[in-house]
Amino acid sequence: MDPKDEATSIRSAQGDPRCFALLYEHYFAEVFRFILRRAGDRDMTADLTQQTFLKAMLALPKYEFRGTPFRAWLYRIALNELRMHWRKRKEVVIDMSFAEVRGLSEELGTDMEDERIQQLAHAMGRLPSGKARLIELRFMDGLSFVEMGVVLEIGEDAAKMRTHRVLALLRSMMTTRG
Amino acid sequence: MKHRYHISKEGRKEPSDAEIAKYRDPKKLLYNYQRATNLLHKKPLYKDPKSFIVLILIVALAIFIAEVVEKDRTTGTEDKEQQVP
Repeated sequence: MDPKDEATSIRSAQGDPRCFALLYEHYFAEVFRFILRRAGDRDMTADLTQQTFLKAMLALPKYEFRGTPFRAWLYRIALNELRMHWRKRKEVVIDMSFAEVRGLSEELGTDMEDERIQQLAHAMGRLPSGKARLIELRFMDGLSFVEMGVVLEIGEDAAKMRTHRVLALLRSMMTTRG
Repeated sequence: MKHRYHISKEGRKEPSDAEIAKYRDPKKLLYNYQRATNLLHKKPLYKDPKSFIVLILIVALAIFIAEVVEKDRTTGTEDKEQQVP
C-alpha cells in the first residue's frame, strides 16, 4: 500500500471503525503468515490473527502515523499475542526452509550444506529469545531495520547494532562448533 | 520457554492466498470490536444513580422481609411456650 494511501486509510479508520476493513483486507495475509511462521498451526494462527486485528482496532485511536510501515505496528501486536500464547509452553518449535535461511547463511559466510544448516539451527536455538527474535525478524520475515525498531520498540540504529552483534555471536558459535 | 529451530529444504507448507482468505472474517472482527467497546464503556450499576437507588430499595426490602419473617417466627415459638402448662 502506498504510504499516502495508508495514512489516509488509518485516519479514516480512526474516525470510523468500519473503515478498518480496508486495512484488515490488505494486511490480513501478511500478519497471518507472520504468526504462522511462529505458531505452526493454522487454526491457532487464525485465532491469533483475529485477536491481533481486534487489539489493533482498539488501539488505533492512539496510533500516530510517523511514516513507518503500518505492518510493523501490526507485527508488534502480533508478537505480543504470540508471547501470551507461548506463556504456558515449555518449548516452541519454529520450522524454517532453506530458502528462509539463505540470507542468514550468506551473512554468516557459511555454505548451504545440510550439516552446516543443522549447526545453524542448533546455534539459533541456543540464543536467548530476544536475540533470536532479531534474527527471525531480519532474515525470516525480511524486515528492514526501521520496521524491526517499530516491532521491538527500539530505534533503527539500535536494531541495526543489536542485529550485527547477534550475527557476530552466531558466527563465533558456528566457528567454535567447527 | 525454549525455542528450537527446525530447518529443512521444504520448510513448513506455506498456505496460498486463497487458503488464507478462508480465515478472513471482517464481520466477526467488527462484531468483536463492538462487543469489546461496549464492555469497555459499560457503566457499572453502582455508578448510575437511578440503578443505584433501585438496588438500595431492593436490598432494603429484602432486609425488611427477612426481619418480618424472623419476628413472626420468634413470636410464634414464644406463644407455643406460653401454652405449655
